[in-house]
Amino acid sequence: MPITTEFEYVKPKDMDEALHVFSLYREKARALAGGTDLIVHLKENLARPEVVVDVKALEELAGLDLKGGVLHIGARVTFSELIASAVIKGKFPVLWEASLTVASTGVRNRATLAGNICSAVPSADSAPALALYDAEVLTLSVKGARRIPIADWFTGPKKTALLPEEIVTAVELKLPGKKHGGCYMKLARYDGEDLAQGGIAALAFPDNTYRVAFCALGPKPSRCPAVEAVLNGAKLGEKLLVKAGEALLAEISPISDIRSSKEYRLHMAQVMLGRCLETAVARLFGKGPKYGNGNIC
Amino acid sequence: MDLQKLITKPKKAARPEKTDDALVTVGKSVQRVDGWEKITGAAKYTDDTEFGPGLLYAALVESPHAHAKIISIDTSAAEKARGVVKVVTGRNFKHKFGLYMNDRYIFANDVVRFVGEQVAAVVATDPKAAMRAAELVKVEYQELPAVLDAVKAFEKDSPLVHPDLKSYTHVPWFFPKPGTNIAHWRKIRKGDLAGGFNKADLVLEDTYQVPRYAHCAIETHSAIGLYDASRRLTMWTSSQSPFTQRHVFAETLKAFGLSHKDVRVISTYIGGGFGGKAGVTMEIIAAALAIAVPGRPVKLLWSRAQEFYNTYQRLGCTAKIKMGVTKAGKITALDFKLHWDAGAYVEYGANVVNAAGLSASGPYKVDNLSIDSMCTYTNLPPCGAYRGFGYSEFLFGLESHITRMATELGIDPVKFRKLNAIQEGDTLPYGAHMNPTGIRQAIEKVEKEIRWGVKEKSKDPKKVIGKAQVCFWKSPAMPPNASSSAFLKFNEDGSLNILVSGMDMGQGLLTVMAQIASEVLSVPVTKIRVETPDTDRNPYEWQTVGSHVTWGCGNAVKRAALEARERIFDLVQRVHCLDKSTLYVENECVKCRTKPDFALRFSDFVINGIQADDYTFKGGPIMGSGVFMPEFASAISDPETGQGGHPNVHYTTGSAGIILEIDKETGKMKIKKVALAVDCGKAINPDLVKGQIVGGLLQGFATVLYEDMRYNEKGRLLNPNFSDYKIPTVMDMPDEVVPIIIEVAQPDGPYGARGVGEHTMIPCAPLIANAVADALGVRIKCMPVTKEKVALAVKAAKKN
Repeated sequence: MPITTEFEYVKPKDMDEALHVFSLYREKARALAGGTDLIVHLKENLARPEVVVDVKALEELAGLDLKGGVLHIGARVTFSELIASAVIKGKFPVLWEASLTVASTGVRNRATLAGNICSAVPSADSAPALALYDAEVLTLSVKGARRIPIADWFTGPKKTALLPEEIVTAVELKLPGKKHGGCYMKLARYDGEDLAQGGIAALAFPDNTYRVAFCALGPKPSRCPAVEAVLNGAKLGEKLLVKAGEALLAEISPISDIRSSKEYRLHMAQVMLGRCLETAVARLFGKGPKYGNGNIC
Repeated sequence: MDLQKLITKPKKAARPEKTDDALVTVGKSVQRVDGWEKITGAAKYTDDTEFGPGLLYAALVESPHAHAKIISIDTSAAEKARGVVKVVTGRNFKHKFGLYMNDRYIFANDVVRFVGEQVAAVVATDPKAAMRAAELVKVEYQELPAVLDAVKAFEKDSPLVHPDLKSYTHVPWFFPKPGTNIAHWRKIRKGDLAGGFNKADLVLEDTYQVPRYAHCAIETHSAIGLYDASRRLTMWTSSQSPFTQRHVFAETLKAFGLSHKDVRVISTYIGGGFGGKAGVTMEIIAAALAIAVPGRPVKLLWSRAQEFYNTYQRLGCTAKIKMGVTKAGKITALDFKLHWDAGAYVEYGANVVNAAGLSASGPYKVDNLSIDSMCTYTNLPPCGAYRGFGYSEFLFGLESHITRMATELGIDPVKFRKLNAIQEGDTLPYGAHMNPTGIRQAIEKVEKEIRWGVKEKSKDPKKVIGKAQVCFWKSPAMPPNASSSAFLKFNEDGSLNILVSGMDMGQGLLTVMAQIASEVLSVPVTKIRVETPDTDRNPYEWQTVGSHVTWGCGNAVKRAALEARERIFDLVQRVHCLDKSTLYVENECVKCRTKPDFALRFSDFVINGIQADDYTFKGGPIMGSGVFMPEFASAISDPETGQGGHPNVHYTTGSAGIILEIDKETGKMKIKKVALAVDCGKAINPDLVKGQIVGGLLQGFATVLYEDMRYNEKGRLLNPNFSDYKIPTVMDMPDEVVPIIIEVAQPDGPYGARGVGEHTMIPCAPLIANAVADALGVRIKCMPVTKEKVALAVKAAKKN
């Protein structure tokens, strides 16, 4: 299907040129990296930019490395690269597990993590994992650089804190610093590729502290401080999970749509929270299913 | 003996048919004749065909309303746009068309009847120019009240989708009710219904809902038309029905001076059909556009969204069942009312309703029977053929109902089915008699395979295991005079070209045709080419639908091969003075039973003849032609009772069973094992039959577990994409599939074969619903049976 909307295509050779284009065209410019959302939106006339800025040649957006407890993921890095990385699999297993559930191999070969959070759909699979690892989004414009905590990044469905003249250069994650087990539970309609109808991610630490985050259960992905408060300091048990489930209901606000009803999402949020925490704890002690297995509900 | 039996009774032949053991090619899983071509990418599909830089592209202007009057169409801005060659509207085409009922226009004339209906088209030098110009066409509408539900459309004060229904022409076996939305009402009345209910110990009444479904062939519809200077129209189409298309094109465009001889349809390989490429949908637009821009080819290629909302969809169905059963488990009466949502145009879909109406008893002997199968117009996209042709829809309710009644009476549901299963010679709903059938063997084999009666427990405490077994049947739904034909030509090296117009859409028809000819003529399959149709060159085939081509086209190919063999024998008898009755073919040679050293290779004479003693040559190219028409069939019966005709040629029956694991909390279902036994008469290629079983089951399970077309209150399809209309992936395969082939020969089929393609998907919906009920005690009566519905039903049941 051809793209009928008209736009200029530019491929800046360096960052200065790119930032200059964004400062000139602001919201009328759209960055093209993987294009797995943008190209579809262009075809469907949902996006009608004046300029499409191909950022694939910008070396500043490359790079995937862990230094001093900080993982740097360049904006050009694709989900397939994340999945292939031993660092991600070994040190940030929940991001690895979440990446595996993003669309299909073909899409993951092009789609970037930065693109996933720039699209900012409530169902972004990578978002709960980023929330767990206290991610920061690095942006750049002619006015300078900014670091935006992931908690402040999502401002609503398909809305972010990115300013019109800015582009995302990287996402940085903090290594938890202590041993942990984790899990990303995803609700999908079948075993093939699907958008999350709900997602819960959790980390469990040996000192009985926990981190919990969700996607697709509210207007934006988020950490769950109330759930964490209920859990922290206690060993998992049936009663605790019931209390955590109740706390979760106050933190999520799912809707009914074509993919799922609010009622089922509420039910499954609690079921998934329990299973996600149980799996995270099991993995902490070297038990439970391997990462990437048994996490599609 | 009834007429069918007389006609299909094996005639005393001069040469006895080979016994099964003597068969060389038939019954063997030979490699597909189109396999290499498709694996290497050499196979050409419609969109691959090259037309050079002169090719024009079309884009459509589509209705945004479910029901509206067209007040005006302003094409002036579009006509001035860059690259535009022509803008075409309904003004240029005033003829109605249709396969079984003439209720459609090429472009909406005065009224639009569904969201997405074509109102105008722009032809331009490139696809973008066409799409941009289409946005410039201004159409003024006056909205009319729309009806989006078949049961509501049946009510007295419903808006009428076709107020002029009375004037529409249609086939004689349709019974429209002008002044209502009923386009066809198939009635079956057999035995004494009230008496049957009186004899019952248990009467159960309920309603089951089946939504619409989409075929989702991976290749979308595509058509290229060229109306050239010699005044002939050539169409390249991705089609299951090239000859039917030729007929519809010729009839609809008669006003432009076209007759059948002037219309040529070339069908390449197709990337999946499933019924969606049967008949004529968007192809008529390409034909009309070709007429509008003579001398230049015009391409129309459907986007994925158009593939969803403007081709045939599977009909939605609301099924009301009332059934009476004795304590002993005998069905005494069945009153079955089927309200079909057939959409805005039913020119094909009404025949689905007819087929289901004739057979809604299922594969059971029901003496007291009433069926009302009502084809209802609605302001949703038109519906038509979809693998299963109405049988999946009624079977969901019927097989759910049977299991419920058996369980309530404390009778084993499989025993119940055995007790009521139809047998050869039983009276069918319309009065004719049942063909030979292996349904009982099918039930028994599946029963054993799924360890029926043995309760199983999941290793996971969160999960439970349920089992279910159901039966199915289906007949080809075809006009009584639907026929097949074949040409077969020998080449110098003894190889063969076979021309048929049955389509290979993945099911392996071409391979099976080669196997049949190979069996008769002893030419190996590797030396046979069977090509896709070109209506100028290939002989007639009605359509590749209804799982009838192995049977119908196979009979034609067999006759063509027999004719060629007779010519060979005649020639050898004439030249070598050997008695014809002593001749036979083996290993590409003619041999003689009384003269063991005699062996004449085909390559020595099939083109250039045999040299006689006087050095002259006798014979010439060896060819054969074959025709098959089911001459015992008749569609004419009493409209009030459905009795008297012989509309269906035969039924293929079978049984299927599953072991289903269900997560009690999430509702997620995993098919641990599925077994399906089908009586295909004779599996000419067992691997291809197994392929049908595996593929059919996967497609069928998708329709029950997650596929679902969703419309909003304005009649707009909400999920015309694979983001929200899910079709199965390899991840969604059942853990284990056990295909079982039963072979109770069909007397009038080639080597005993009967149809098998569609049947393998139709038992899936009740299998899941019954297994869920078995495991969890909850009954889902509205398809799809999603995990969401299961989980919420379990939750609700706990509360109560």
